[in-house]
Amino acid sequence: MSTTIEEDAQESDVEDATAGEPEARVGLRYTLSQLKRDPTAKVGGYIIAFFAVIATVAFIDTNVLAWVGHKYWFAETFWVNPVRDPATTQILRPPLSLTNDLHPGAPGDWNHVLGTDHRGRDILVRLFYGTRIAMMVGIVATGIGTVMGVVVGAVAGYYGGWVDDALMRAVEVLYAIPFLVLVIAFMVAFGRNLLFAMIGVGIRTIPVFARLIRSEVLSVREEDYVEAARASGVTNRKLIQRHVIPNSFAPVLVQATLQIGINILVIAGLSFLGFGAQPPTASWGQMLSVSRGYMLPAPWFSVWPGLAILLAVIGFNLLGDGLRDALDPRIQNR
Amino acid sequence: MGRATYTIRRLLQGIPVMFGVVLITFLLTESMPGDPVSIMLGPSPGLQQAAEIRAQYGLDQPVHIRFGKYIWNLLQGDLGRSLYYEVPVTTKIVERLPVTMLLVGASFVFGTITAIPLGVVSAKRRNKPVDHVSRVVALVGVSTPSFWIGLILIIVFAFHAQDVAWLPKFPATGLVLPWADPATIDGASSRYDVIARSLEHLALPTLSLGTLRMAAFTRIERSSMLEVLNQEYVKLARAYGVRERTILRKHAFHNAQLPLITIMGLQLTASLGGAVLTETVFEINGMGRLIITAVNNQDYYLVMGTTLMFGVVFVVGVIVVDLLYAYIDPRVSYEGGD
Amino acid sequence: MSDANTLLDVENLRTQFFTEEGTVRAVDGISFDVNEGEIVGLVGESGAGKSVATSSLMRLVEDPGEVVGGTVTFKGETLIDFEENTKGELRPSEAMLSNAEMRENVRGNEIAIIFQDPMEALNPVFKVGSQIREFIEINRGFDEGEAKALAVDMLREVGIPEPEERYHSYPHQFSGGMRQRVLIAMALACEPSLIIADEPTTALDVTVEAQILELVDDLREKYDTAFVWVTHDMAVIAEICDRVNVMYLGEVIEEAAVDDLFHDTKHPYTDALLDSIPRPDQTTAELNPIVGVMPEAINPPPGCRFHTRCPDAREVCKRAEPAYQDVSEPGERPHHVHCVKYEDVGYEYSDPLDTEATGAFAGDLMETETEGEADD
Repeated sequence: MSTTIEEDAQESDVEDATAGEPEARVGLRYTLSQLKRDPTAKVGGYIIAFFAVIATVAFIDTNVLAWVGHKYWFAETFWVNPVRDPATTQILRPPLSLTNDLHPGAPGDWNHVLGTDHRGRDILVRLFYGTRIAMMVGIVATGIGTVMGVVVGAVAGYYGGWVDDALMRAVEVLYAIPFLVLVIAFMVAFGRNLLFAMIGVGIRTIPVFARLIRSEVLSVREEDYVEAARASGVTNRKLIQRHVIPNSFAPVLVQATLQIGINILVIAGLSFLGFGAQPPTASWGQMLSVSRGYMLPAPWFSVWPGLAILLAVIGFNLLGDGLRDALDPRIQNR
Repeated sequence: MGRATYTIRRLLQGIPVMFGVVLITFLLTESMPGDPVSIMLGPSPGLQQAAEIRAQYGLDQPVHIRFGKYIWNLLQGDLGRSLYYEVPVTTKIVERLPVTMLLVGASFVFGTITAIPLGVVSAKRRNKPVDHVSRVVALVGVSTPSFWIGLILIIVFAFHAQDVAWLPKFPATGLVLPWADPATIDGASSRYDVIARSLEHLALPTLSLGTLRMAAFTRIERSSMLEVLNQEYVKLARAYGVRERTILRKHAFHNAQLPLITIMGLQLTASLGGAVLTETVFEINGMGRLIITAVNNQDYYLVMGTTLMFGVVFVVGVIVVDLLYAYIDPRVSYEGGD
Repeated sequence: MSDANTLLDVENLRTQFFTEEGTVRAVDGISFDVNEGEIVGLVGESGAGKSVATSSLMRLVEDPGEVVGGTVTFKGETLIDFEENTKGELRPSEAMLSNAEMRENVRGNEIAIIFQDPMEALNPVFKVGSQIREFIEINRGFDEGEAKALAVDMLREVGIPEPEERYHSYPHQFSGGMRQRVLIAMALACEPSLIIADEPTTALDVTVEAQILELVDDLREKYDTAFVWVTHDMAVIAEICDRVNVMYLGEVIEEAAVDDLFHDTKHPYTDALLDSIPRPDQTTAELNPIVGVMPEAINPPPGCRFHTRCPDAREVCKRAEPAYQDVSEPGERPHHVHCVKYEDVGYEYSDPLDTEATGAFAGDLMETETEGEADD
């Protein structure tokens, strides 16, 4: 915070009033050091890293390799193709060492550690490739929502007046239409594919950030250093850019992390209802939807995709909570 | 200004939002590809028949006229006619809305009743085992997909329980309204029976939808309580010899509920969305399923009507929460803006 | 030091906070006493430990803080006492009052507290009158009706107009000065022998402050209550205190009757403090702030804690820990000081130390920079 002011001091003669103070309590390095001390945040970080790596591999194997015509090359070479129907009778196999009503005498084996789905495809590999969908939508949708929401909210909060009213009413409308309904209608209107799902969820994320940053901006706007900078002739736009947004940023960062988790849940729900990635692409929500039809004969089919979602979201929640604790200047001891 | 005027002002402010909701829904529905009439009549409809249907439903008019007509009818209470169900939209809504309200209401009640004591105890015994357990439970609750919980609950308590003697059994689908006529429910011969069945059917869906509520509320209650316990007035009360128990129950509790009430309003939309998922899993015929059916069949008027309904519920909910907050927090004045 | 009139006797009180960054020695061995009916001041900069000291007296220090040593007696009862166990560690002794006894007998009815920020100190969702009433019921055993009557009386007593109506008002409906009066009413209503006032006028305008001080003076005469008055404002000290303790970084470094403190100052810190106050009757070309910033209590400077900012510092000050002793002449009032100058450790022969106050940098001790100018 003091750095931003010092930089501006050269431009606008704002005096730096801080006398020599012991070690600063803000900034990237301090935050990272705080985070390192927080075991749950670290666990969250590892979980996210784990899924990120998997998602990246899956992404490369699917989207990148598709360009050169070798989609799923990795999968087929080292494992098995996640979307191709193996056309065997090994459907709905139980997980390792368990049996189910369909295969009473034949417990699961290492070929299909988590079992197979209704078309005989290995569940674990489909979970692996489903990570791609979850992470992609989570991150992209949250990104869209954050960027646009921050711009809208900052402008609304800073300028106030009718600009504020108009923008916030518009945002409220987005908020009033139920989450799923908005996205579903959006997708039915424009196309039932993943791209529109991402955009739809992104649009729906905007109100969250708009409101958040607006209330931050409302309080930061009244701070003395903003007054001082304005009095020294700094333009409005620069003020927003250099002072207002950076100082309102901490809660946004926390919310963005948590929001990725939330959006993963949303895309899972959408996929469950049939509005996400279309079959045969593997996605966790869609797998759960299919598993519904086989709850009696193969109950374990319903368990694994849900666990995957749970784990991924826990990761983001843990990290988000850790960030919140690390960034909150009021919390000196836990 | 007074409470009455404040209420009216808030209600009036809801109108532009409602208008926006209608407009956006209208535009979205307009952009849906496909022709609802052909969906209704099947492939190669007779031209005469198609034209008749179109005229009947007013689908042959240009966009702005349709919108205007819709608003006009709306103000008179007419939401149009469902293409798919062939009954007035209002009929379907009246049929389905109570079901969803029951479900959402039950999940809120469940969430609140469990979360408040859990959050308070957690805050009071901060960093002790109880706290850690409750935080883990809350974390898992907030991270789990609600429909997955529903699936697992069904597997365990509806299917698996058939084979295992000591597990309580719950029905896997459907909801029974507690105020329904006993004659319409199989095996129910009295109001008492109906209520019992109702609770039975409510159990799993409420748990499914309510877990997220409970988890979210617990976290907020805990952090709110912690913050309040750090306030000067709590320290003052302690300095004057007030017992810890009284401090928790009286001095801290009241103040701690304020953020929770605000959040409840925001959670309302999330709940309505979650209801869609829960209704699908448990095959409950509520508003959620209605809207999915409507969207899937491009049932123009039904989509508009149901979305509007959701919007109304939301706006009213927010206003109720605002009023509740103003009632509870004496610092809120009725003057001025939001 | 105790005689028949001593109300509160604090000896070697120590309180520490155990944080992740280290142990903060917030109060590191302070001693003072309060006699019946007198106002004793506790003055010092922010961070000196004044508020922690008063919380410690009432045993209201919370996690991660803990009172770790010392003895505090009040009217003969032991509030805090430690004894050594076989391992040489200090443990709270049996003589101490139990938590329940503290709560029922001491807090409120014997010792009451007034906090700094009256807006924060009053519960915003309850009416002011019922808050006072509750404390009266708890501490004086009245029933609801009697307590309410007394509450109204006290509101009148502290100068709040229309007390019967104002009884039903909420805290946010009062102005700052009024709220502070409410807190005073609360304290007096419980008829304690001692009131601890923790910076009660810091958040108020000067004119309002004057009114409050006058009120306190009147009330003190009427009820004969003793006060511990915590503040960082020397002017307030001069106005109402009988005796004063000056705190720095967790220690009391000077104690004297108020006139002696101002006219016969013995500790360099007190001197600097008095020097730094702008005086309305003198024109100054420059202000004389105390150079530098008070160090953190996690890692206090070795030897005398003030030596890093002391204009009179010598080499020996870095090594010798001064003892707290009475340096008054026989026949004079007691005057305690915590300074190497008044001890027999060779201060006179030691070399002067370069500190921030003498214009140089104490490079090996603190890595902070100062921007103020040294005044010699």
